[in-house]
Amino acid sequence: MDLLAIAFYLLALVACVSAFMVVIARNPVHSVLFLILTFFSSAGLFVLLGAEFLAMLLVVVYVGAVAVLFLFVVMMLDVDFGSLRQGFVRYLPAGGVVALVLVVEMSLVAAAIAGKNATLRAPSTNGVSNVEQIGRVLYTDYFYFFQAAGMVLLVAMIGAIVLTLRHKPGVKRQDIAAQTARTEASGLRLTKPATGQGISE
Amino acid sequence: MMPSNLLQIAAPELILAIGALALLVLGAFRGNRSTLLVSILAGLVLIGAAAAAAVAPLGPIFRGGFVSDEVSRFSKVAIYLMSSVALLLGERWLNRLRAGQFEYPVLILLAALGMGMMVSAGDLISLYIGVELQSLALYVLTAFRRDDGKASEAALKYFVLGALSSGILLYGASLIYGFAGSTRFVDIAHAVHTTAAPVVLIGLVFLACGLAFKVSAAPFHMWTPDVYEGAPTPVVAFIAAAPKLAAMVLFARALLEGFPDAIDQWRQVIMTIALISMAVGALAGLVQKNLKRLLAYSSILNIGYALMALSTGTQLGLQAMLVFMVLYMIDSTGAFATLAALSRDGKPMETVGDFAGLSQERPTLAIVLTVLSLSLLGLPPLSGFWGKFYVFKAALAAGQWQIAVFGLVASVPAAFYYLRIIKTMWFDAPAGRTDTPAPDAQAVAVAAGLWSLPLVLVGLAFLDPLAALAARAFGLS
Amino acid sequence: MTDFLSAMAAFWATPVGWTVLTLVHVLVISVILLICIAFILLADRKIWASAQLRKGPNVVGPFGMLQTFADLMKFVFKEIIVPAGADKFVFILAPLLSTVLAMGGWAVIPFAPGWVISNINVGILYLFAVSSLGVYGIIMGGWASNSKYPFLGGLRSAAQMVSYEVSIGFVIITVILLSGSMNLATIIEKQAGGFWNWNVFGGSEGGWWHLIATVVMFPMMVVFFISALAETNRPPFDLPEAESELVAGYQVEYSSTPFLLFFLAEYVNIVLMCAMISILFFGGWQAPWPTPYLQHWWPFWVSAHGFVMMGVKILFWFFMFAMVKAIVPRYRYDQLMRLGWKIFLPTSLVAVAAIAAWRVFGPVNGVYG
Repeated sequence: MDLLAIAFYLLALVACVSAFMVVIARNPVHSVLFLILTFFSSAGLFVLLGAEFLAMLLVVVYVGAVAVLFLFVVMMLDVDFGSLRQGFVRYLPAGGVVALVLVVEMSLVAAAIAGKNATLRAPSTNGVSNVEQIGRVLYTDYFYFFQAAGMVLLVAMIGAIVLTLRHKPGVKRQDIAAQTARTEASGLRLTKPATGQGISE
Repeated sequence: MMPSNLLQIAAPELILAIGALALLVLGAFRGNRSTLLVSILAGLVLIGAAAAAAVAPLGPIFRGGFVSDEVSRFSKVAIYLMSSVALLLGERWLNRLRAGQFEYPVLILLAALGMGMMVSAGDLISLYIGVELQSLALYVLTAFRRDDGKASEAALKYFVLGALSSGILLYGASLIYGFAGSTRFVDIAHAVHTTAAPVVLIGLVFLACGLAFKVSAAPFHMWTPDVYEGAPTPVVAFIAAAPKLAAMVLFARALLEGFPDAIDQWRQVIMTIALISMAVGALAGLVQKNLKRLLAYSSILNIGYALMALSTGTQLGLQAMLVFMVLYMIDSTGAFATLAALSRDGKPMETVGDFAGLSQERPTLAIVLTVLSLSLLGLPPLSGFWGKFYVFKAALAAGQWQIAVFGLVASVPAAFYYLRIIKTMWFDAPAGRTDTPAPDAQAVAVAAGLWSLPLVLVGLAFLDPLAALAARAFGLS
Repeated sequence: MTDFLSAMAAFWATPVGWTVLTLVHVLVISVILLICIAFILLADRKIWASAQLRKGPNVVGPFGMLQTFADLMKFVFKEIIVPAGADKFVFILAPLLSTVLAMGGWAVIPFAPGWVISNINVGILYLFAVSSLGVYGIIMGGWASNSKYPFLGGLRSAAQMVSYEVSIGFVIITVILLSGSMNLATIIEKQAGGFWNWNVFGGSEGGWWHLIATVVMFPMMVVFFISALAETNRPPFDLPEAESELVAGYQVEYSSTPFLLFFLAEYVNIVLMCAMISILFFGGWQAPWPTPYLQHWWPFWVSAHGFVMMGVKILFWFFMFAMVKAIVPRYRYDQLMRLGWKIFLPTSLVAVAAIAAWRVFGPVNGVYG
């Protein structure tokens, strides 16, 4: 058996097991940690496919940034998953039906693709590197979608600021520009108080 | 495609996007002092975009991701003008409640941009991105009075259900893509033409459900009454008008361009949704005490009529849908403008009881609300009648007399709740003094009322041929 | 003899042989690295001591040279104490993860022409990814200790590292744009021919015009250096372990070997950052002068020459790290966040746009012309 096959089965196994553990782990922090492991193994699978750029993006964006914030929140919230799990058995039939429907639909799609004799293959690179190819597609073919998605993110950002930013009156803030612009004349006052009188404000 | 031509075709959207970004920077640097200035400039940007949309050349650009044709031109002009009305209503209204912020006009601009992208979407990806851009802006606008508990609740419900529907939409889109191997409507139509596999129909149903949520058609209407009740009134006036038209046009484009050969299948789905919407809108509206909730059910009912026109799948049906939606938008904006204009002791008047004896207190607004109610009811020769007239004509021409009869029946209970408002206003004892109406909102309300009675007869002469031209875009029979 | 050599060459080509060879590479680099770290640690303390007019460690071995080894023994022979109520698995996992990630970054560092374990196409992204994962060790350790100070330290560290990663990412993008490659070896090769061709002076393309790009790249180098300080929790950004506020932050509850591992990871990361700044901005293994004489050398000596150059640069940057620690007082937390988000982020964003415009409209036009 060659190394690629070993690596594939190893990564796939870890990904599946850790994805399962995300759901069944009792401690929410453990769940998030298993989620990270899942992401990481999926990144490894991307490397095996020859899509190393996607793999690195997955690690940088999902593991390095998104999951950190996730972990951050889960650690601070102290969610009691025991109580969330209360109705597990009650919801099991409904959940099972949904899962079954999803499986059937997915297999229908898979059948439709298989019917066209299309197989999963690494994209042909024609001597162009992975990164360059994604760049070409993203910034020429899908330029419009890329820009439009940027607008969506902008709206999300405006929304977050509009709904949460509050300028409390009466709070002292450090104004560094004002601080450094202070001169001897503006920051210092020399007085000569008369004896026994002190300085009147 | 030459870049200059590309820029010309996308000019209205570029004006909106660049305008929104520039105004955002202006507001960020000048703070909330500049709210009025930003609003005025945003209004100019919207009118400029509408003008650009009216004259911009047509054609698909960005490899079919963005399609500019007669339908998109027609709806863009309507959408951008309606958005500027929302700007006019909201700016002063929020200022009176000391909730004015310069982000309000910017968000309206971005929502309008999203709607422009929706009506021009030639691809599942641009469909989704347009819907998402418009919805996100609307969620934020709903919660714009962030210290108001009801508004926050409404926004949260809107957001959670909206996210769910986006998920359904995306799931359907991915199924369709998995089947057709392309996200472009043209390619999907080609794939459906060769083989209509069951999986693509499942995807289509999911897509239709997601879009039905966006137009608030029953049984995906749950968010509508709560959002209408909780959101600031000018924002409701906005949500109830332009986004509905955008979503309906998007609906029509997705179905007629992407699945012209599966018309027998999707017609049943659309007809079912239309029937349920009419039933729910007519019956549930009967028990509403809150006028904003009542208007929410009225909008569900009216979306049922619009969907009825769409389900014909003919050119006549599309034309009827466009005319109906434009007339409905004006009526509903006028009704919400009346609500925005009226208040008692600084509190908005929302329940039906609040309007008792309004005819003695504020005769102008009472007349306007009466006219608009009668128009929504569909009494000839008011504008609402003409909208329904077109819809029923199209349905009968397509041989769908059953659904047309159902539509007529549904308008009977609906008539009851419109008449109840009129009766309360004219024949009940006055409920107390009202505040002086806000001039801006009153002006909008009066304008809508005038449109509804005499002007519509002149307006239709222009609207009808324009809509007919627009409806030719899909090459239907 | 030749038979034996060819047989060996055939063996290295098989999967098993490849695995063995790679493991040997990894082992050699790890051992050399750890020994170097031992002396670098000592250097850190000595520099700090000199700045404060002290002698520093001078008891164990000649000039205190063996101090680090004595510390190692001390840590290893102590008892590992796991606090009550701690999440034992995560508690032990955290320092291990920190160390493994810190060492893992070295897999793509080219020390000299041809001297690299894995010369992958997206090496620079790999380094960025690995350094962005470093935060997990700290946040996990802080949480698993089941105590207030470590937890606060962990949260601070998470916020701090995520904030500064953003600007590091943008700085890296400027370098990628300038070099047109994400392969570290290619980035270094493009900086050949003298110090004026280093990326900090605008790279090598475009004749002497490239020096104009110094206006952008030099500040980017400074941004990178300062962000690297924050990313490795070095003073003046050592807030996750600020002793005056948090006792020792995320490592309060750690003792013995786990503490040693955290400590080691910190220093391995610092040296990794020094190597990164040398490669990205200062030509990596390239000498600061033109090197036409290398053409006549044996490949091994060429590599050794490059190795020395690289080593000198890394040591220089480590010296800078140590001096900053000795000289600059600690930042307050809000000042740290302000610096990261309000100053570095916009600056580096503008720099990305400027360098991109330079590549397209400037005299270089190597990629698009």
